[in-house]
Amino acid sequence: MFSFLMRRVAGMLVSVVLVISVTFLLMQLIPGDPASVLLGSNATPEQIEELKATWGLDQSMFTQFVKYIGNFVRGDLGRSLFYQEPVLQMLGARAETSILLGLGSLLVVVAIGIPGGILAALRPSGWVDNLFLVIALAGASIPSFWLGLMLMNVFAGKLGWLPSSGFTSILDTGNLGNLRSLILPAFSLGFVNAALVARTARSSMLDVMQADYITTARAKGLRERVVTVKHALRNASIPIITVVSFTFAALVSGAVVTENVFALPGIGSLIVQSVLKRDYPVIQGIMMVVAVLYVFVNFATDLTYAFVDPRIRYR
Amino acid sequence: MTQYRRIKIEDCTEGRGVLGRWAAGVRRGMKAFADFATRRSSTLMALGILGCLLVIVAIGPLVSPYDPDALSVLDRLQAPNRAHLFGTDNFGRDIMSRTLSGTRITLLIGLSISVFSMIVGLPLGVICGYYDRVGLIVMRGIDTMMAFPAIILALALMTILGKPGIINVILAVGIVWTPRMVRVVYSATLSIRETTFIEAAKALGVSSRRILLRHVAVNLLSPVIVQATFTFAFSIMEVAALNFLGVGIPPNVASWGGMMNEGRMYLTRASWIILFPGLFLALSVLSFNLIGDAIRDRLDPKLRDVM
Repeated sequence: MFSFLMRRVAGMLVSVVLVISVTFLLMQLIPGDPASVLLGSNATPEQIEELKATWGLDQSMFTQFVKYIGNFVRGDLGRSLFYQEPVLQMLGARAETSILLGLGSLLVVVAIGIPGGILAALRPSGWVDNLFLVIALAGASIPSFWLGLMLMNVFAGKLGWLPSSGFTSILDTGNLGNLRSLILPAFSLGFVNAALVARTARSSMLDVMQADYITTARAKGLRERVVTVKHALRNASIPIITVVSFTFAALVSGAVVTENVFALPGIGSLIVQSVLKRDYPVIQGIMMVVAVLYVFVNFATDLTYAFVDPRIRYR
Repeated sequence: MTQYRRIKIEDCTEGRGVLGRWAAGVRRGMKAFADFATRRSSTLMALGILGCLLVIVAIGPLVSPYDPDALSVLDRLQAPNRAHLFGTDNFGRDIMSRTLSGTRITLLIGLSISVFSMIVGLPLGVICGYYDRVGLIVMRGIDTMMAFPAIILALALMTILGKPGIINVILAVGIVWTPRMVRVVYSATLSIRETTFIEAAKALGVSSRRILLRHVAVNLLSPVIVQATFTFAFSIMEVAALNFLGVGIPPNVASWGGMMNEGRMYLTRASWIILFPGLFLALSVLSFNLIGDAIRDRLDPKLRDVM
């Protein structure tokens, strides 16, 4: 187990360094330099040179890169050109919304996807199975922002059951009722991915249900529920965990647009505003944090495999 | 279960002369296509949708009732009616004409992105798969590119490329989806190069370049076509998202994403502004997903696990 863990940690660190390097290189490709962008067209060359020197932009690319990694490790992601605030602080202020939205949609994915897949597998070609097949096809084709807008129109506009947009912090106000604002966004984001998880859960369960140990378990006289949940589900869980971890990237991508649709003050709407304002340090900071998070999710997925299937530890 | 193609006598006797053989070839191709189309009802439906879209692309401007950009303040925010089948937007522009005109731009961009990902991804993937050392380094970079969620990378690339515009959207989304093409080509090349016919070619002293072009590339055709179809589906969705966020094509060009963005202000009063472009987008993506699935299962059922 220890050597398994060490190998995974080493692999993860390499990926983190690579992600940081790619982000750094991409940002070097931006035409023009940030100093002249910030100072505007009226700046004198001396002023630009001075600002460049303060930011260390006059040094070689390699020196800048080393400094940049050092800053990242210390949690310094630079300052926003537009708001003059530290990027990390801006991300922190918006993290709550994005994390809650992410967890909410993950809940929708897991709560609809896994039971749906199991039900579909118990009666292949039954109505649940066909329903999820259709939903999975539709889910892969319907853009989440369109679904969000349509749900908003019906449930917030026509019926008035739920708030249509915006979100006030729960940490600041202590009002759990604010979660209502996240129901529609979480559903429109999660629903699209839930069907994918259901399809995987179904095929994985169907494979496992053919196994001899399932027959044995039934022959022992175990109740069908115990057979399904304890014997089949655990053995079917590796592909399910994989596809749930894949949905992370899909949820982040979807969140960028969904936060925009529902006017949620999250990291996704921050990156769109920063792109429109050409606020490079913020874009760079978000790209890096999200990609590093993705690497962590992959790492956690690997660890979960080892936990669910002890054989993996010895490979 | 293996399926054997039944060869009819006329297939063998009919092909007399160059023209006759050519006609027989075309007939065989059409028969194979008809087989493919009718095997599953979902494929037939997908091809039907695609056919409609292509017709719209071809004759759209001729049949579209109004100029997609014509303003008519008197007709603003009309619900779908006989004069305006899909209704009108806040400037009184005809939604149907704009949706039809958006079809052209969407399919053009989707096609360009798929072609881009093939032109860049195919050679890169083959070289990485065939030469271990190159593969080791380049594939690390490719995997790193894939660690960025698609829309975030696309947004960053749009910033780097500068102004919004069709070419920049094609480049940005193309660069996002090319690593996935490289991955597919790479893993397919790895398995092809272990086959006996490559070993035989090497033993005969065939040059690496010839092996890559004549033996490896030809066998990559099916995974590449399938991946290109999926790239098409994903990329038109992503382009619509960029347009919806206002960082894709400039708003003066009618695009489905852009129309949905403009309609947001009038969501509860005039939901048709958003309904129809979204419906067209969803149907297009659905059709390409289904066709991709069908081609994959037809050409090589083994790919099911890879893609």
